[in-house]
Amino acid sequence: MSDSAAGSAQKPSSSVKLVLLGEAAVGKSSLVLRFVNNDFQENKEPTIGAAFLTQKCPLPTRTIKFEIWDTAGQERFASLAPMYYRNAQAALVVYDLTKPSSLVKAKHWVAELQRQASPGIVIALVGNKLDLANDGSGASGGIATATENGVPGPETDGDTSEARNEEQESATSDARKISTREARGYAEEEGLLFFETSAKTGVNVVEVFTAIANAIPETSLKGTRGGGAGAGQSALGAGRSGDDSRVNLGDRNAAAARDGCAC
Amino acid sequence: MFQLSSFVQKAQSLIDPANFIIPSLTPSADRNPSKSSLFRQQFRLPDSQNPLHEITAELALPVAPPSSSTHGERPRDGDRPGNRYAGQLHLSERFLCFSTQPTSFLPSASFAVSTSFTGQTHGTGPSGNGFTVPLCSIRRVERLHSLTHVFALALTTWNGALGRHPSSSAKDPPFVPQRFTIQLMGSRQACERFCDGLKKGLREAMKEIEDLRVVVMDCYSEYLLTGGSKAKGEEPDRQPPDAGLGMVFRYPGDARKLRDRSKMRLWAEYFRENGRNFTLIRQPTFHKLIRVGLPNRLRGEIWELASGSLYARLRSPRLYHETLSKFDGRESLAIDEIEKDLNRSLPEYPGFQSEEGIGRLRRVLTAYSWTNEQIGYCQAMNIVVAALLIYMSESQAFFLLSVLCDRILPGYYSTTMYGTLLDQKVFESLVEKTMPVLWEHLVKSDVQLSVVSLPWFLSLYINSMPLVFAFRVLDVFFLEGPKVLFQIGLAILRINGEELLDVQDDGSFISILKSYFSSLDESAHPRSENPKLRAVTRFQELMVVAFKEFSGITHSTIEELRAKHKDAVLENIESFAKRTSIRNLGPDSKRLSVEDLGAIYDRFYEVLYDHEQRQKLLAEEKKRHEKKKFERFSVQAPPPDAEVGRVGLGPSSTQMDYDAFREFLAATAKWAVADVRGQAWNEALSEKNRQLSNQSSVRGRSKSDLKLEDKPEPADHEFMQRLFRNWDVDRSQGLSLQNVVNGLAHLKGTRDIMNSINYFFDLYDNGTGQVDREGILGMSEALLFLSRRGFDGALTPSDLPDDSHDAPLSPYDREQKEDTKLSTDERFLGSVSSFIRRCFEYADPSHLQNQESTGGGTTVDQAAADLDAFSIGDDDDDLIEIEDWPNLLPAQSTSKSASEPSNPTSPSRAASESANAALNPDHPLHITLPTFRMVVLADELLEQFFESFFPQSFHLSDHPHPASLAPSSSLSSNLTTFTNLGSVRSQSFSSNRASVISGATVAGFSGGIVPPNKGLRGVLDNIVSDGMRMAAEVRKKMEEAQREMERNALGREEDEDDEDEDGRGLVTSASSAAAMVGGMSSWGVGIYSIDPERRSVRERDRDLLEGAEAASVVDGKDVHYPTGDAGGGDRTNDHDSQEVRSSRRTSDSVNRGVFSMVEFDS
Ligand SMILES: Nc1nc2c(ncn2[C@@H]2O[C@H](COP(=O)(O)OP(=O)(O)O)[C@@H](O)[C@H]2O)c(=O)[nH]1
Ligand SMILES: [Mg+2]
Repeated sequence: MSDSAAGSAQKPSSSVKLVLLGEAAVGKSSLVLRFVNNDFQENKEPTIGAAFLTQKCPLPTRTIKFEIWDTAGQERFASLAPMYYRNAQAALVVYDLTKPSSLVKAKHWVAELQRQASPGIVIALVGNKLDLANDGSGASGGIATATENGVPGPETDGDTSEARNEEQESATSDARKISTREARGYAEEEGLLFFETSAKTGVNVVEVFTAIANAIPETSLKGTRGGGAGAGQSALGAGRSGDDSRVNLGDRNAAAARDGCAC
Repeated sequence: MFQLSSFVQKAQSLIDPANFIIPSLTPSADRNPSKSSLFRQQFRLPDSQNPLHEITAELALPVAPPSSSTHGERPRDGDRPGNRYAGQLHLSERFLCFSTQPTSFLPSASFAVSTSFTGQTHGTGPSGNGFTVPLCSIRRVERLHSLTHVFALALTTWNGALGRHPSSSAKDPPFVPQRFTIQLMGSRQACERFCDGLKKGLREAMKEIEDLRVVVMDCYSEYLLTGGSKAKGEEPDRQPPDAGLGMVFRYPGDARKLRDRSKMRLWAEYFRENGRNFTLIRQPTFHKLIRVGLPNRLRGEIWELASGSLYARLRSPRLYHETLSKFDGRESLAIDEIEKDLNRSLPEYPGFQSEEGIGRLRRVLTAYSWTNEQIGYCQAMNIVVAALLIYMSESQAFFLLSVLCDRILPGYYSTTMYGTLLDQKVFESLVEKTMPVLWEHLVKSDVQLSVVSLPWFLSLYINSMPLVFAFRVLDVFFLEGPKVLFQIGLAILRINGEELLDVQDDGSFISILKSYFSSLDESAHPRSENPKLRAVTRFQELMVVAFKEFSGITHSTIEELRAKHKDAVLENIESFAKRTSIRNLGPDSKRLSVEDLGAIYDRFYEVLYDHEQRQKLLAEEKKRHEKKKFERFSVQAPPPDAEVGRVGLGPSSTQMDYDAFREFLAATAKWAVADVRGQAWNEALSEKNRQLSNQSSVRGRSKSDLKLEDKPEPADHEFMQRLFRNWDVDRSQGLSLQNVVNGLAHLKGTRDIMNSINYFFDLYDNGTGQVDREGILGMSEALLFLSRRGFDGALTPSDLPDDSHDAPLSPYDREQKEDTKLSTDERFLGSVSSFIRRCFEYADPSHLQNQESTGGGTTVDQAAADLDAFSIGDDDDDLIEIEDWPNLLPAQSTSKSASEPSNPTSPSRAASESANAALNPDHPLHITLPTFRMVVLADELLEQFFESFFPQSFHLSDHPHPASLAPSSSLSSNLTTFTNLGSVRSQSFSSNRASVISGATVAGFSGGIVPPNKGLRGVLDNIVSDGMRMAAEVRKKMEEAQREMERNALGREEDEDDEDEDGRGLVTSASSAAAMVGGMSSWGVGIYSIDPERRSVRERDRDLLEGAEAASVVDGKDVHYPTGDAGGGDRTNDHDSQEVRSSRRTSDSVNRGVFSMVEFDS
């Protein structure tokens, strides 16, 4: 039971509830599987409502224990989603960059979270199946909110790959249907973290989670040991300031994204 | 019970969030289930069954064979041979049921008596001790005449007789038929009435004996007692019936450890003493045998029996295979989704690693998805069905799944999954009540219980516990119902309570429970000194805690909590669905405000819901009539519960047909409300009332259903048909929410007069960019149609003498200046009439040879003359004599099919038309959009009509999109139009200069009230007066039913002073429409102030103009409920009883002593 104490004995450890949302078959379960097991395979687990998984993500100063709710794929389970995001501290909104409708759905989830979830929730927009784009190897991602702060995000990387995308889009039979620029632009408008990933190759998967871990405001973290009640309260209370923290954490995030989780 | 009506699976309907049908204005519907449905629930009967007769009775069972050790619940003193049970005997169309649960389903019984079975059942389940036998399984009923005061029946069943080989009977031990007696305890009359009903039912039931034989032969119990037990002699043994994949791939668990053999022997003994499958009598041992866990090969059959799916199978034994072959090769979204999950359904069980098992799973899920397309397929059903298939055949699993989804767990697998969500709320509140400390801790640590418990309920613990234990839970669940899921859940938390008090997050919570589930086979008290205690497993402990400690959790506890939380849960789902839906409406919807979209959304689903309810009621009524006539005991489904289709319970239809669209419009725009109630509408309402009054005698009704009366009856007009077709962009003969939103967004999205003019033109444009003669007439009719209920102040003629000095009138002022308003209405008639004239005047010929007649400088004069020719001529030959012009005026056709543009060369018998180019069908003509624009803009009122009234008349929310309020800047385009008009079109003496000035003025006042216009309009308006009369005629024809209006129109006609009007128009070269209209206005005032009678007519008109509310108030008085003779059921009963009495009298006099009521032999 008290497994939380085991991993990183020295550093403080706190758990973060994260929910994955997105259209069916965009690769939510695959992303989680990649993050948790560093594996890619067909999903054998029957998902009833949502699958629950955990994974630790050590940061320089602390360890974040992700409690991941991977919501079920079938459309009608969307009715259940509020149960899962209600007190989540982070959300991964996933779309399939080869499928335009999935971005529409993702935008819906973003709007839903912004309106209904706890105010401080950290949202990352993730375009999955990057391997299907011809620029598949290129990693792109970063802090979409950073423009104002002058933080470019991980970033020069992302920018070049973006430029490449657009060239190739016109050139070859690229399966990509949603340009990096379009999605990034949207993410910036809404103040979301933004990454393009491949659960298949593993590109950027760890980075997403690390960026989220870094973006969680310190104040909204609760320890896994002791004072549960108090911590819970503070998590709720801290929600208000979430927006600020999300933006200001940019620097640290950029740094951390590179060293990533050791998982 | 199955809806095979619409087979086309609409993939879209599952993806589209608009599916979460939510008429959010509907208050929660009738909560109390009907007595019939309670009856069906108690005895697990199919939906076709209704409680027809009931009587207090005592069941006397024959003395058991020596080995018997059973004890009755209320064993009598030793002087009687067998067990006796006091209880209630019920008769439905096809079943005879006896239960020790004291329940009554008489119409007069209080609701509490009807539901009392939902209380503690001491393990017997709601149907108690007793029996549920199909009438067809009763072979013989005798009346025993032993004592004078006793009314007793002896029943002999087909038990064991159907499967017997006639040849083998000699070798076998003598066959003892199952026979038991029931003593009826009521007045002689009541007893006889019951017997009479029974007799009728038995006769009817004879037809079903073949089906019974088929189903019985599939029962393992039958094989166990007749086929399997036979010594392995020469005769080829009967193949055992399919008892699931377990027969091939082994059943889960260790059969020895499960003591499967001894359980089997115990069941065999029970069957021998108490009958099997259909004729089984439930005694306490039955329930005990279930609690200890069912033996593998009988598990499926007992599940069927306990859940009642056996009775559904009896009703249509071939349905499963028929469904499969009927839909063979068809594709659907559900099938795709099923396919994805086949490999993830109990993959640990060997049967589902094989094509055999996967194939069975696929077929059962697919067949069900076809029979219930509203549910289709929901994840978790794969797991449940996989589990069922281990113990039962495909057909058995198919029926059990149906009963599970439709009756036992309604809403669990629906597209909104409201049942699942609701039960999580119920579960949480039970935890809060029974374990407050734990609950508080979970809340504090931000652990959400429902996300953990949801899979328990959704997959019936099958996926949470090791299979052997999950099946033990299912054994009890099928007998006692959904409360078992709650009892088990509470017990799990109670047993792990202490550990759970330490958890701080979801992770640790889940891992505690995971390890608990995996240790269910371990000793609950491993360190106990007492070996007996040590032998108790954790699972046994769980069962004890669940059913002892939480025995207070009854079906009614659950029902009460469900009722309590239902609204909140549904509202959450609804608001989620609404948000989702509105967000997904696409770019066009952004032109409307969120409030507007919300209003459209609510109205759309409300109309759909009401419409559907009404159709259903009418259909039921029809069915009821037929039933009365042809078959007293119909096996057709009775009316479904009133709640079906209500609020986020799941999708029904997502498209409005034209009739629903009319209702939508009537709720949106005044002009779409019919002036008088039509016959059909009244009939529908009275049907509705009848229905309601009948039902209200049986159960409480909610006010939601009564609302229908308050709905205005929608009008039907060609304009509405055009609107419908215009919005129905995908030509699906139905409007989705998206269609409606787009339709309204285009109309109301921009407050731009050009937009609204174009929109209107488009409605009449037959795809060529032109509107022909019929179209022009249709347009003018539409203008009159739209305006007939007034303008709500949207039109403000610029030169009213009364209010020329002040700003636009407030509604209050409008009231005060009634006569001013009237004259606006009237002057609009004038505008419409000039509209027609101008349209014809400026129409282009559709053929070249006609061009000469429109060329040259004579156009205006010619047109005016033409108009004179037809409008002044005798009425029968008038242009607007609609009946004579059926082809020219599709507007009048009420049928939707006739709405195609009609043949432009259709013949006319108007005498004047040969001289009239505008009317001559040999000279087809048309107008184009620029012409239409010009004609509209040439008239101040028409301009205002299109600028404000037309778009505004569609009322959505009170918070329109800001963009639609912004003053239009596009009026500058008027300038061009006017210029064009002046230079190209106008051949009269009007100066181009004037038109330019006019245009400039208009532009300057864009979006606001247009000032008096000089110049061009005057020129055009000088031909208006004849058109007045013409328009009046149009109006007359259109509103024949509307007395007041007609009189008004006639009155005006009488007093009309053509010369004067013409004079005004002609005299001043700068004469404006405004001036002319002003004249009319003062003239109108004169009339109404002078003539008090007319005035009062007008007052009544005003009432009418107030619209829907007024009309419905009046009508509401007429359609009161005939409560006096409410309760058709009662009456029927009375009637019945009379019949019974008379027939009884005769039979009684004849029959004395033992008489055989019915006897059937094979
Ligand atoms: N090429 C490619 N396929 C992927 C990727 N991620 C997931 N998939 C595939 O997409 C399908 C759906 O994935 P799944 O994780 O079940 O999606 P979910 O419904 O969102 O959980 C599976 O067939 C995966 O193999 C990816 O990054 N690249
Ligand atoms: Mg998934």
